[in-house]
Amino acid sequence: MVWDPRVWSLLVEALWETLYMVGVSLALSALFGIPLGVLLVITGPRHIRPNAALHNILSVIINAGRSIPFIILLVAIVPFTRLLVGTSIGTTGAMVPLTVGAIPFVARVVESAILEVEWGVIEAAQAMGATTWQIIVKVLIPEAMSGLVLGLTITAVSLVSYSAMAGAVGGGGLGDLAVRYGYQRFRGDIMLATVLVLVILVQGIQSLGDWLARRLSHR
Amino acid sequence: MAETMIRLSNVTKIYGHGDGQVVALRDVSLEVKKGEIFGIIGLSGAGKSTLIRCINRLEVPQRGTIEIGGRDITKLNGRELREARRGIGMIFQHFNLLSSRTVFGNVAFPLEVAGVDRAELRKRVKELVDLVGLSDKLYAYPSQLSGGQKQRVGIARALANRPGVLLCDEATSALDPETTKSILNLLRDVNRRLELTIVLITHEMNVIKEICDTVAVIENGQIVENGPVVEVFANPRTSTARRFIKGVLHTEIPEEIRQRKLIVHREGCVGKTVRISFIGQSAGEPVISSLIRRFDVDVNIIYANLDLIKETPFGSLIVEIVGPDDNVEGSLQYLADQGLKIEVLNGVGPTGLESAG
Ligand SMILES: Nc1ncnc2c1ncn2[C@@H]1O[C@H](COP(=O)(O)OP(=O)(O)OP(=O)(O)O)[C@@H](O)[C@H]1O
Ligand SMILES: [Mg+2]
Repeated sequence: MVWDPRVWSLLVEALWETLYMVGVSLALSALFGIPLGVLLVITGPRHIRPNAALHNILSVIINAGRSIPFIILLVAIVPFTRLLVGTSIGTTGAMVPLTVGAIPFVARVVESAILEVEWGVIEAAQAMGATTWQIIVKVLIPEAMSGLVLGLTITAVSLVSYSAMAGAVGGGGLGDLAVRYGYQRFRGDIMLATVLVLVILVQGIQSLGDWLARRLSHR
Repeated sequence: MAETMIRLSNVTKIYGHGDGQVVALRDVSLEVKKGEIFGIIGLSGAGKSTLIRCINRLEVPQRGTIEIGGRDITKLNGRELREARRGIGMIFQHFNLLSSRTVFGNVAFPLEVAGVDRAELRKRVKELVDLVGLSDKLYAYPSQLSGGQKQRVGIARALANRPGVLLCDEATSALDPETTKSILNLLRDVNRRLELTIVLITHEMNVIKEICDTVAVIENGQIVENGPVVEVFANPRTSTARRFIKGVLHTEIPEEIRQRKLIVHREGCVGKTVRISFIGQSAGEPVISSLIRRFDVDVNIIYANLDLIKETPFGSLIVEIVGPDDNVEGSLQYLADQGLKIEVLNGVGPTGLESAG
């Protein structure tokens, strides 16, 4: 195998595409998933805003979302993707299924992080006359912050691997590169380099997440 | 008589329903005066936490009314309740501080909730942290503080919005005796300085003895005894109260003193062992010396015990009074007339006086 300098630029370009897809879909899924997770917790029985109906509906939708295999979601929502961003291919087209798939995941991860907040602290805030909104933004989210960061780190790692899958159906990024060059053109070196970059990327994300979570924790 | 700050009338709280139903409070009525420290004591599961949590409606009772400053808290809507809660501070056994905030941030929390502006907030937080003696820990996180320091933060936080009432749910139960003492002193201090009404619950009679003016004993969800602490200590009516008191006042008479026989020292002379119990000013020595002068008897002090209930001296003295029969009887009558509670531990005492059991 001969090392081709063009491989390098291919890799860099693919890495940027992956980072772009993962970054944007992580941000968007957090934007929708965090409020959903918070709502799921506070509407639970014996929490600050119990509402069995809403709680159960959210729970069912989230479970349904999580039980659809990503590869099926990818093709199933093509019409929706086209409607939303005008295309179903390329990095932009891949971001829609990635975000949609990650929202329920984020919601569950947020739920478990927020359930970790000590009930006594929430009750103290109630005893001080805090509103539901004040409890959410001043107690639940700050107290759960390090758990939230760890949860979003897991989400980001999953998004990296899902983005590779999205790449396989024309989404660009490292997965696309591996399939197009490594598999279809028998370029073992590119395949190997891609895998290597993915491993390093995931390690990097995890370390960054762990470091941030540790910094945010004052327990 | 001071005015009433908190009045509970026929409060009943039931947890669960059907077979698993627990009646945590049964028809509880009580009254807390403005500016007093009101202690509620009871064994585990008696309903103490439920009772104190009903006062700021962290628990909603099924029946009864709870008035604070004349306002029935059970009838308030959401906004009114939040408003009312800002006037009721609360501290907790496990402190319940926000681990994500520093001391400053924790004390600032209730002020933020109440919408106090930044400048006023900073000033107020500094004052409060100063009041509880933690100025050097202003930017420490709760995880860097000891239990006693955490509770000081809890107290500063509870006082932030200048409440008229402070509720203490086992505030010292997680602390060692030394720290407990300092926290109780702080509570007594803020009670006086801020004219704060304090309701505290505890399972330690020691806490009641140190700082409370009034005590209520709760058992199986009912108030079984209620009154000024010195009175309840002097005349406990229920066995529960007696058990609690026994733990903190060493009023038990040593066995060898109990066993002393009526001694005939010489012809016509008798020696009686007498326990004199006293509360407050009518204490000790002047009575004894005037007894000796008036009745020409010898008084041997056998055993003495003095304690303080809040600031009131409380204790007992066991003496042997030796002298002619009539003089001894006369001295006993004299002691009784002084308002002292006396008990003859050997022989038979004057009529109407309790004999040692
Ligand atoms: N949330 C709840 N659900 C069901 N039962 C409860 C609940 N809280 C308290 N109880 C029951 O109510 C009774 C009174 O409880 P409470 O916590 O008021 O007692 P306590 O005097 O504070 O006890 P401790 O000293 O152990 O804290 C107990 O029998 C308890 O099991
Ligand atoms: Mg309790």
